[in-house]
Amino acid sequence: MRCITRKILVLLLGVAVVVAGSGQDKPPTPQQQYQALLKERDDLPDELAKAKTDEERKKLLSRLGKLPLRFLELAEQHPKDPVAVDALIQTVALVNGTAFPAGGKDSPGRKALAILQRDHIKSDKLGLTCQWVVFGFHKSHETFLRAVLEKNPHPEVQGLACLSLAQFLNDRLNRLDVLKAQDKPDLEERYHRVFGKDFVEELQRQDRVAVAKEIETLFDRAAEKYPDVKIPVTYFGSGGTVGEKAKTELFQIRHLAVGKVAPDIEGEDQDGKKFKLSDYRGKVVLLDFWYRL
Amino acid sequence: MDDAKKVKEVMVKEKLPWRTFVDSGPIAEKWKPAGTPTFYVIDHKGVIRYKWPGAPGAGAIDTALEKLIEEAEKDAKKPPE
Repeated sequence: MRCITRKILVLLLGVAVVVAGSGQDKPPTPQQQYQALLKERDDLPDELAKAKTDEERKKLLSRLGKLPLRFLELAEQHPKDPVAVDALIQTVALVNGTAFPAGGKDSPGRKALAILQRDHIKSDKLGLTCQWVVFGFHKSHETFLRAVLEKNPHPEVQGLACLSLAQFLNDRLNRLDVLKAQDKPDLEERYHRVFGKDFVEELQRQDRVAVAKEIETLFDRAAEKYPDVKIPVTYFGSGGTVGEKAKTELFQIRHLAVGKVAPDIEGEDQDGKKFKLSDYRGKVVLLDFWYRL
Repeated sequence: MDDAKKVKEVMVKEKLPWRTFVDSGPIAEKWKPAGTPTFYVIDHKGVIRYKWPGAPGAGAIDTALEKLIEEAEKDAKKPPE
């Protein structure tokens, strides 16, 4: 008797589930879920600003911190859906808003980048993704940029990959120089912790001249082959074209780097008197770009 | 009010003892400092020897200047070639 009751119960439950499934509350489509996540991404900072208690703030911060993982999970649940690539790009964007982006094999950012590289390397949407990782320092970012540059068929994406790889290598080289020049054990410890001691030391042993040469070659290639490709506006860049940006960087490398003769400056001082930087040849000059509103 | 006057006012108020190129754009356009402050240290031959985006601290600046001034003094003592 007990046995029969159970069967009935199971049957009833089964019916209930079917009814719920065919009713009004259809599960949201991947696209709807993606839009909902985007809305959360846009709304959370405002909610955070309005939060009244520490408790509220803590909760909101925790939700904000989980967003990259939730975009990644959406992409992993629907790998064939067109929304997957958009969700992965959001993960990369959200994780890389810092000079020390989270790494490690379990980091959502690293995983998203790996999936983009494996499944979407030919997507026409990867240009902006290349820009997001420019200040990333990680090995996985370099691998990604090189793969996009080599395998992506769209000139707009290639142009941004070429520029971004040059910017990435340049930024990394500059940061290694700073690390070497300044005696800051805390900073070194941070680099080791975030990027891996072995990796940082491997970079410090690399042939600096060869890397600098590659950076110059890549900026040259970006300026010559992709001059008119537009750079998307980001919080760290105001747009413009690949050609303009590459030329600016080349001028820095060729004329404004340590070891180069400083280009002359001609202008007027605060009393309206004309003078030139080269007037001070023979003296040591500290040149400080300063600004006040 | 013109730029030079504004700059002069700030420099007097903050007791800044150096000389400033008053720039309405063209110098920054060419040098494109990543932000302010950006420091360059240029030796007596006109060669860029140090470049710091952001303040490196007074200690680092002093050390660099002392080293380069020593170099300049050594060169000044050499008989002309």
